[in-house]
Amino acid sequence: MKNTAATRSNQLRMIWIIFRKEVIDNFRDRRTLNTILGATILVPLLLFSFLWFAEKTIKDETDSISAEAIQLAVVGAEHAPNLMNWLEQSNFAINDAPKDYEQAVRDGEERMILKITEDYPKRFATGETAPLLLIHDSSIVGLEKIGYQSLQRAIYTYGNRISSLRLQARGVSPKVIHSIQLNVSDVAPSELRNTQVLTMMPYLIIIFIMLGGMYLAIDTTAGERENGSLETLLIQPASRKSIVLAKLLATMLFSALTLFFVLLSLAFSFKFLPIESFEITLSATKIAVILMINLPFVFLGCSLMVFLASFTKSYKEAQSYLSLMAIVPSMPLILLSFLSPEPSLSNMWIPSLSQGLIVIETLKGEHIDLALILLSMVSSALVALLFVFMTIKLYERERILG
Amino acid sequence: MIEVHNLKKHFKAVKAVDDISFVAEDGKITGLLGPNGAGKSTTLKMLYTVLEPDSGKALIDGFDSHKESMTVQSSIGVLTHNAGIYERLTARENICYFGELHGLTGEHLNNRINELVDVLDMEKFIDRRCKGFSQGQKTKVALARALVHKPKNVLLDEPTNGLDVMATRGLREVILRLKEAGHCVLLSSHIMQEVAFLCDEIVIIANGKVVANGSPDDIRNLSNEDNLEDAFVKAIGSEEGLG
Repeated sequence: MKNTAATRSNQLRMIWIIFRKEVIDNFRDRRTLNTILGATILVPLLLFSFLWFAEKTIKDETDSISAEAIQLAVVGAEHAPNLMNWLEQSNFAINDAPKDYEQAVRDGEERMILKITEDYPKRFATGETAPLLLIHDSSIVGLEKIGYQSLQRAIYTYGNRISSLRLQARGVSPKVIHSIQLNVSDVAPSELRNTQVLTMMPYLIIIFIMLGGMYLAIDTTAGERENGSLETLLIQPASRKSIVLAKLLATMLFSALTLFFVLLSLAFSFKFLPIESFEITLSATKIAVILMINLPFVFLGCSLMVFLASFTKSYKEAQSYLSLMAIVPSMPLILLSFLSPEPSLSNMWIPSLSQGLIVIETLKGEHIDLALILLSMVSSALVALLFVFMTIKLYERERILG
Repeated sequence: MIEVHNLKKHFKAVKAVDDISFVAEDGKITGLLGPNGAGKSTTLKMLYTVLEPDSGKALIDGFDSHKESMTVQSSIGVLTHNAGIYERLTARENICYFGELHGLTGEHLNNRINELVDVLDMEKFIDRRCKGFSQGQKTKVALARALVHKPKNVLLDEPTNGLDVMATRGLREVILRLKEAGHCVLLSSHIMQEVAFLCDEIVIIANGKVVANGSPDDIRNLSNEDNLEDAFVKAIGSEEGLG
């Protein structure tokens, strides 16, 4: 080491030369460009179909409640003519129930059956509690469930009205039994209501960070070895450290580019997708913040992929391992959908989970403690450095060519 | 100048190189001749710094190829076995990349590449992307990138592998020109005729050991055989791997 400054500038020059070659080389690779292009097109499509489906479900619900009469089979309808009138006004079509009505519900022939017992008229007339039996199958979900819920609401309302009438008949104000009136007011800002879309965002971001870097991580390591040019490269007067860093930087560039295009595409989709129920905006500032706080994860994801790909024997092998690896970082994110934790010291050191939390909070327009953001960035970067160190060690061994 | 002193290298139980010594001088073509698996490539790999010897020394112009690998890397040009080139880059870009890694830039690098284009007869494809190149064209690109920095020492591992007759003739001319220009050329081959035709010095290797060493005439005399091929067979002690 005659002159450390000269050595360092020489190393930087080597990194730049190798980095530039890998970038040019891979910009000419259709697979790399397809990933970026695919991400840009796929993201709005995914988002659109997801939102469209969500909106359609809500619309169908409303339609099925208001428009069409809900079919209701009743046993002993003759015992409760007033209730039947009420139900018909509440948009139910009353039918006769089949003989074996329990089996009919079990077999799915009838959605639900209301049974009015024989002592109902007597008890109703004498002001006692009159029993009704509702038979349904709770394993049925989705739109079918709506009829059951409307029927319950209709019967409760009917019961309440009868109770009120009875109290009034006895000279008591119905308010006596309504001791509490619960009024609900939703103060959540409009951005908070789109939680479903929000919890999708971290997945999209993390997965496309991995996908964006995957081809380069493979092509520059396992690919170069399979191509038979790695040995020649290692003979050049460049340190193994420079070679690894250059390849990692090129991988990170493509990963970050993919992320950037995904964010741009999201911003446009949020703005222009014809979905009414949805009000998230992604401003230039938010894009910059999300890009910035995800850079340590770009570093981590890419160093992990470069490390793994350097171990594999061939392009194919690397591809199958890394495709699996792309899913691993999205696993901590599952916690986000189930627990929806708040950013704190106990979770902000976890790579991918912490980035996911910051993404969600940023999209919500909420403030996060700078210290927590730094914790997320530093911890991810430290793990990344560990992988970089191990990759350099691997490249300094003979078996890198074997 | 390349010197190899008592070089040993084993992979697990296999003694790939077992006490090999020889010298390859400047201005001469030295050939490592031996059947497949004799230890030629392993010896070359230790010389061009990618393998560490178990014991012994590999010196290039007096520098230890393991301990002073960076210095050695600047003074060698290597055509590795089955060398691959970057298919999405043009031939020129391939050569340029390695020139830059050796510190060449701008006009100087361009002139050097044009020189190589002339010598290796690459005008037709120099600015084409390398995907779909013939084996001969690929080898020329790989050879050009090995020579771009005018290395004092040139190491070629089975350079005529996969080349047709015309390409082989072209390559021979290039190697002879390197010799005339005073380079130290060390090449390996399992093809006896090729080595006999080109080399000033022949080192015959079998089972990781040097079994004969000298000029083609020396080797013929040594084994009392008029025919070099018979001498070779006698030297390695079997016909194994001659194919």
